[in-house]
Amino acid sequence: MAPLDSKEKTDASSKPTKINKWDGSAVKNSLDDAVKEVLTKKFNYTENFKLMDIKLLICSIAVGVAMFALVWDYLYPFPLSKPILIFSVTTYFIMMGVLSWYTAYIEKGIFTVCIQKDSKRDVVWEASSLLKKYDDIYTLTLACKNKKTGNFTKISSEKSVANFINEDGYVVSELVYAEVSKLHNSLLQERKDK
Amino acid sequence: MEVSSLFDDVKRMNMRQFYYQVLSFGMIVSSALMIWKGLMVVTGSESPIVVVLSGSMEPAFHRGDLLFLTNYPEEPVRVGEIVVFKVLGRDIPIVHRVLKLHEKSNGTIKFLTKGDNNSVDDRGLYAPGQLWLTKSDVVGRARGFLPYVGMVTIMMNEYPNFKIAVLVCLACYVLVHRE
Repeated sequence: MAPLDSKEKTDASSKPTKINKWDGSAVKNSLDDAVKEVLTKKFNYTENFKLMDIKLLICSIAVGVAMFALVWDYLYPFPLSKPILIFSVTTYFIMMGVLSWYTAYIEKGIFTVCIQKDSKRDVVWEASSLLKKYDDIYTLTLACKNKKTGNFTKISSEKSVANFINEDGYVVSELVYAEVSKLHNSLLQERKDK
Repeated sequence: MEVSSLFDDVKRMNMRQFYYQVLSFGMIVSSALMIWKGLMVVTGSESPIVVVLSGSMEPAFHRGDLLFLTNYPEEPVRVGEIVVFKVLGRDIPIVHRVLKLHEKSNGTIKFLTKGDNNSVDDRGLYAPGQLWLTKSDVVGRARGFLPYVGMVTIMMNEYPNFKIAVLVCLACYVLVHRE
């Protein structure tokens, strides 16, 4: 999987992303991807997929249980399959509850977690974003967690998406880079002040 | 929007995002499936909601009425009740009223049905040589109905191409469009 990932990324970075700028979710996704690219490419942090992988696991269990119920009910028609159906239906809805809880309280819009690990520091960077429907204000939050000291600092910026996407619908990566590094540097600055 | 740009969202995804996209499509399908299976468990009927496809029960039910069924084993079938039953060799269950019923002391029953709007009983509809229905033929008993809602289903059944087109369009949209 890793080589494929890196190949896709080089493809994406070589040419600017064009999107339908009136499509809110496409705008948010492309900006998220641009921010992620700044963190992984420009700052050379390693991306940590744990947050996403747990979510994928929850979804996989839910879909797996549903498919199992379907196959079981097909093999052993209804009155026989009742206990299995009760089990799968409850598991499915519990998993759906867990998923909503996870996205609302654990994920909280975080789309990438990056780890900066070198001789001096061991820091976790979390980027989360918010773009309300029919709204142009893109809220980008960068959080920085120092594993050694346990320090947690957070900074966010609210800017119209027009600051990052040009009239033709291309994401301008230089502007995204400027914004992310501004947040990034002010977080580093804050830490030094303390 | 041009057709070529339709797949741009998909092209930009990495493996995890693509897998998540497939899973979220799977979850839409599974949610519907699990609600249906959950209803089956609660009502005890293998098909808790059916659509009336013919006018044989008028004026009680019309074409396109949506029926809600239950099939609890402890509730006995009685004359005058409206039952939904399956007949060997027919794909679609039939909704008709119980006309005659014989019950043994050990609880086994055999019964005859007839559509309110039909002039003869259902023996002609049963499988060749079958004179009575038994408990195992019953899908459920009508407990409530919602008029006209089932017309959509009837439309889809009468024009299969329309149904396939709608389903394919929806599936493509969900898979291609990234939330």
